[in-house]
Formats: sequence, structure tokens, C-alpha cells
Amino acid sequence: MSSKMGETGSHIGGNEPKSIAGLGFLTVLEHPEHGLFGGYLLLNPAGRPLEFHCTAPIRPNRAQEILYGPTLQSFLYGDQIGRTLLEKSKIEPLFICTDKQPVLAVREHISQPVALVLPSDNDGVDPADKTLRIDAAHPGGLPPGGPRLKTFQLGRNHLAVLERSAEDQRAISERFTRLADSFAEPFDLAEPFTRIREAIEEAQQGVLK
Amino acid sequence: MELGLKAVPWATPLPDDAFRPAAIDVRTIRPDPWLLRAVSVAIGSPAVRVHSFAFPDPVEDEAAGDELPHIRPPAKQSPQIASPAGSTRIRPPGDVIKLKDRLHYLLQPSLESLLTERSLAFPFAPFPFQFEGIAFLYPRHAAILADEMGLGKTMQAITAIRLLLRCGEVGAVLLVCPKPLVTNWQREFGLWAPEVPVMAIEGEQTRRAWQWQLPDAPVRIANYELLCRDRELLERIDATGRPVVEFDLVVLDESQRIKNRAGTTSQVARAISRRRSWALTGTPVENSSEDLVGIFEFLAPGFLSPEMKPRRMGRTVSDYVLRRTKEQVLTDLPPKLIHDAPLDLTPQQRESYRLAEGEGVLRLTELGTSAAIQHVFELVLRLKQICNFDPATGESAKLERLRADLEEVAESGRKAIVFSQWVETLRRLAGHLRHLGPLEYHGKIPSGQRDAIIRRFREDATKHVILMSYGAGGVGLNLQFANYVFLFDRWWNPAVEDQAINRAHRIGVAGPVTVTRFLMLGTIEERIDRILEEKRELFDVIFSGTQAGGKLGLTQQELFGLFQLKCPSGPIDVAA
Repeated sequence: MSSKMGETGSHIGGNEPKSIAGLGFLTVLEHPEHGLFGGYLLLNPAGRPLEFHCTAPIRPNRAQEILYGPTLQSFLYGDQIGRTLLEKSKIEPLFICTDKQPVLAVREHISQPVALVLPSDNDGVDPADKTLRIDAAHPGGLPPGGPRLKTFQLGRNHLAVLERSAEDQRAISERFTRLADSFAEPFDLAEPFTRIREAIEEAQQGVLK
Repeated sequence: MELGLKAVPWATPLPDDAFRPAAIDVRTIRPDPWLLRAVSVAIGSPAVRVHSFAFPDPVEDEAAGDELPHIRPPAKQSPQIASPAGSTRIRPPGDVIKLKDRLHYLLQPSLESLLTERSLAFPFAPFPFQFEGIAFLYPRHAAILADEMGLGKTMQAITAIRLLLRCGEVGAVLLVCPKPLVTNWQREFGLWAPEVPVMAIEGEQTRRAWQWQLPDAPVRIANYELLCRDRELLERIDATGRPVVEFDLVVLDESQRIKNRAGTTSQVARAISRRRSWALTGTPVENSSEDLVGIFEFLAPGFLSPEMKPRRMGRTVSDYVLRRTKEQVLTDLPPKLIHDAPLDLTPQQRESYRLAEGEGVLRLTELGTSAAIQHVFELVLRLKQICNFDPATGESAKLERLRADLEEVAESGRKAIVFSQWVETLRRLAGHLRHLGPLEYHGKIPSGQRDAIIRRFREDATKHVILMSYGAGGVGLNLQFANYVFLFDRWWNPAVEDQAINRAHRIGVAGPVTVTRFLMLGTIEERIDRILEEKRELFDVIFSGTQAGGKLGLTQQELFGLFQLKCPSGPIDVAA
């Protein structure tokens, strides 16, 4: 996996991709004792699971903390965890969603569009496309700091993409709309993260056992 | 001004050199290139370990299910049909061990999404607790849905079956229920799963044998008696060693029918070849914790033992049993008003009672150690009958009170159910209450006529009273249009009484249900009432995790103790 943003035709997994329409959901859980757990869930358009990958917990070492400085989180979430998980997948997703902003950094390493799913209470604030500076609090609930984002509304979902990957918005909107007939009900892109969190907890317990 | 101070000279700390002119000595040092060292700090990015799980493509998997010829895909839902809302999660049962299998459940969308995805809509919007019940049954291979009567166990079981059929996880389901409930189940399937063909096994033996072995019947319904009659076929093995009749899922409704492990019904039910086993009952424990052991012999043989203490048993079965009460889940349900009606026997009844009791106790005393339980029971039944009607004159204090109450019910345009354990008592009541035109529903009414009687009670505004036996009317009927329940005499255990009461007090009831329990003062009825209360405590110990103590059932001592008699010790299993 070395494809860069903007490249097309390459798949994220190291294995031969299957021609199944899938939606990817990638997140990271912070555990106070064990560290960071990554989880990647691939769903079909009906919301049924096709693949699930999760990492063993990782912690940054002291050298990483010093040398990565403020970019440490993006490195851990996007590069170390995100990229590793996506490489394990055998199915190429139409797009990838995350609920953790630092995970957006994975976009640097893959060709698929990546969107940040904003909290649902953000819905309706301003559904029109807009660009926001992320260095101040906004009613839209975007987290402070980090790269500049472009927010937009997709069905019931409020999303954001990296401004430097602004074309992701169009790609995601087109692909999501194309799948609309397959959806059993209005697809809530925030819901699968609940499943991932439960699955990671279950897997963690299972591994510990 | 002269102060007179003495001046003392101090030596300054400055050396003499400080007063010399400044001199800067500049030296140039050339670094030795050989002394420079690059210090490398390895940041390190150790490989992240990943656990991966792949799941079968549900689209490919379920294509087969959709093509099952015997299930008609439901019509595109109309706007009148309720679509499920909410997000009830299906969680893996405790006996699913493999992590991948557990994750497969956890990663599924909500139950409501699964139902919507398959256009499985409902005629009425289910309650959230009913979705929880469906999510409980759906993944389980062994389960008891033990909701209190009136919470919709039927609907929950049908929907779970429907979903399993639609997902292709089961193809052949057998539902076993008491005979009077077969038509009720057919009707409920028609309501909640109209696309699923349902066949009632009935008729002559040859026809039944053909029905049992039909390959393409998704749901078959049989009654318990029929199960025993067809035992040989159900236990038969063919030349290849496979059972002639086998099912993916067997559901036992009113599963307390198999609580007696030694009984034929239990043996036949356990012998049916199946992959999944569910039990539905509002009364998993009627008399003793052994009742639950009996049901588990069908679900998971050997999982429970009669020696287990009730509290440990409760913990052991917790993942297999789902039990909710109306108080827990239906906070909006109109109240159930229990009203005890303690009455005095008429003078003639009192005299008959005194004589019968005296003679009976004398006989038991004479029998001494050879006195058996059936002797005690004969006496108890005799005395209870006198509490209903005086055998000599036909007088009845209960009847007088009942007549007055029912006339009031009829005048107010309401409907009432009267329960008794004896058909004979119901017949006598029918005669005395003729002016109210009561309907009768008991063992002497042919089963073919029973549905029509219920329908008439529901729809005919002139019919205000139905007289029912606990046996025939105690289970499975929906009579939520009745606001009054009268227990003319008391049954042996509270669970059966509760079932009877809950024919009326269930989902859909429009107002409060008033339950009147007749109790003759100073008689056997009063003493039995105390024992019934103790049995309620046993139930609480197993299913509520309470610390309440409670007797493990009706013991010989207690039964003999009704007459202040001593007897050999040991538990008995008589209070069915």
C-alpha cells in the first residue's frame, strides 16, 4: 500500500480485491491502561459485516513522543493504526469513514476518499457546504486544531473531508447516492462505530482469555 | 555634633589585582573533526499486530433463503404497516465461545435494521421490550422466554422464527402447544408472519405421517397429545441412521407441560431431532425448582440438576432465560387490582363443612401411618367443593356475592370472566346465572366450538359473562376486553391463577382489571392461600435474585398440616 492521494485504480489491501461494494469504518479507541486500539469494519450496503480487523493495543514510545511532537496523534492514528488495518482488508471500500479526526491522516497513504463523521447534533446547523478554520470553536462541533476541513451534508449524515482532499466530497456523495437504493433505511454513518467499539472490547476480552 | 563613635578600619575583600588594568586573553581553539559524533535515536515503529475476521457475504448467503419456494417474500410494505424503529442489538449468547462467532453477532446491524432490510413489517408497532425478546431468541439454540403472561411471547417467538426463516438459518420449525391453542397460533402467524405458510398437524394417522415428513413445510404446529400419539414416528431412525422426522427448531409453548421428566410428553419432546430448542412459558416454576430442571432436560440435558439450590440455579440459567414482568416493562398498562373477598359460609354450608372435615380427619387419624397423600387430597377437594356449594341444599355464599357482582358488571356494559377448577361448578353457576346468559368455555365444550364462543364473547354486546375452567381457559387466550376476573375457587399454585388473570390483564387492555378472589373464612381455602403466598416467594428466589426465603413446594408436612396432622416427611409432587 503506497498509493498516494489522487491516484486511482489501486486498492488498499495487499490482497486481490473483491468486487463487493463495501463501506469502510475506521476508528481508534483510547484505553487508559492498555493504550490505543484500532478497529476497521467493512460493511455491505445493507449494513451487514463483511470484514473486521482490530489491532493489539499500542503505545507510543518516548522517542516517538519527543520527535513527532504535535504530529504524534496523526502518525499513530492515521499511519501506524489506520494504514496497517486497511492493508489487511481484502475488499476495497467505496469510501472510508472515521469518527476520529486524526485518522484522516490515513488519506495520505490511500486512494479511497476518507470522511470524518461529525456528531449528529451537528446536523442542521448549516447544511450548506462551507469551509471552516479549525483554530477556533464552531457551533458545528468540529474539534479544534488539526488540518483544515470541508464539511457537507449527506443524507442524515454530517461529514467533513480534508480541505486538501476536497474532491473526496464529490466522490463520496456520488458513491453514497449510487448505493441509496441498496440501503434498507437511511444509512446512519455514525452507527457502525458503536459496533466497532463493542467488538474491540469483546476481542480484547477474548484475547485476554 | 560629636557622637563619640570609634572609627574601625575594615579590610576590603578586593585583592590588589582588581586594581590592575584589564587584560583580555583571546585564544582560538580549532575543533578536532574526529571528536564530532552523530547520536542516532531509533524512533522505531514496531509492527502493529492485527486480528482479522472475515464473514460470509450475507448477500450471497441469503440469496438462497430468498429463493426458498415455500416462503413468499412479503409484499412491499404499505404505509399503514408499522416499520420498526429503534436500535436493539443482537448480542451473542454466553454459550457462543469462538471469538469470530461472537463478533459476528456484535457486528450485525440493529434488529430493527435487519427486519426493515427484509421488508418484515408489523401490523402493530411492537414495544421495545418485545424487540429485546426477539433479539434474545434469535441467536439462541437453547432459550426460555418466560415473560409474564400478556407481554406477547407469541408475537416475539413468531417474529424470531420469521427472521430465522428469512435469513435461511432455519427451514423447518415445529411448534408444539396445548390443543386449544393450535388455532390461536395459526391466527397469530397469519397476523405477524403472513408470508410464512403454517400447517397444523392433524387428522388420521396416515395423513399425520405424511405431514410430519413433508420436506417443504416451514412451520408446523402440533399439540402435545398428538406428539405422544405419533411417538413411534418421531423417534424412528431410517436405514442411514438419520431420524425420519427432524427440525431445525422446536418451540414448546406452555412448556411447563414437560416439567415432569418421567412423563411421556417430556420423553417424546426430548426425543425429537432438532438443532435449536426454545421454550415459552409464563410459569417456568409452578411448584418447585424441579419444574425448571424438567424444561432444561429438553433445552440442554444435564445442564441443571434437582439438587441445585434455587439461587445457584437462577444464576446458572440466567443467560438462557428471559423473564420480564408487566411492572418492569409496561409502566403504562392499566393496573391490576387484586381484591380478596373473604366470605362466611352459610349456616348450612358451615354445618356440612364441619361434618365433612371431622369425618375426614377422623379417617386420616385412623389410617395412621398408612394415610396417603391421595387421602388428604380427597378430603381437600371435598371441603373445597363444600366451600362452593352446600351438597345438601345447594346454598352458596360465593354464588350470592358473585351474582350481585356480575349483575353490576352487566349493567355497566362490562365483561367478566369467572374461573373455577370444576366443570360441575361452572355448570351449576350457569344455571344460577341464566338471566345473565353466560357463555361456557371448559373441557366439556368441543374444541371445534371454542373459537366461536370466544368470538361471541368479544363481539356480542349482550354477552357479559364467560364461565371458564382453569384448564381450558387458563392459557393462550386474549381476552383483554374483559375488565373483571372472578376466581370462584382457588387453584393449587399461584402461577396457574396468574395465567388465568392475565387472559384479561394484558397488552391492549383498555382499563384497569379488577380481580376478585373468593376466600371462605375459617376453611381450607384460607389455609391454602397462605401456602400459595409461599410459592410466590420461591419464584422470586430463582428469577429475581432476591434473598427472600421460601419453601421449595408443598411438602407432605404442609399438606397434612392443613388438618393439624403429622405424616411421614419428604417432598411430594402433587400440587400440579
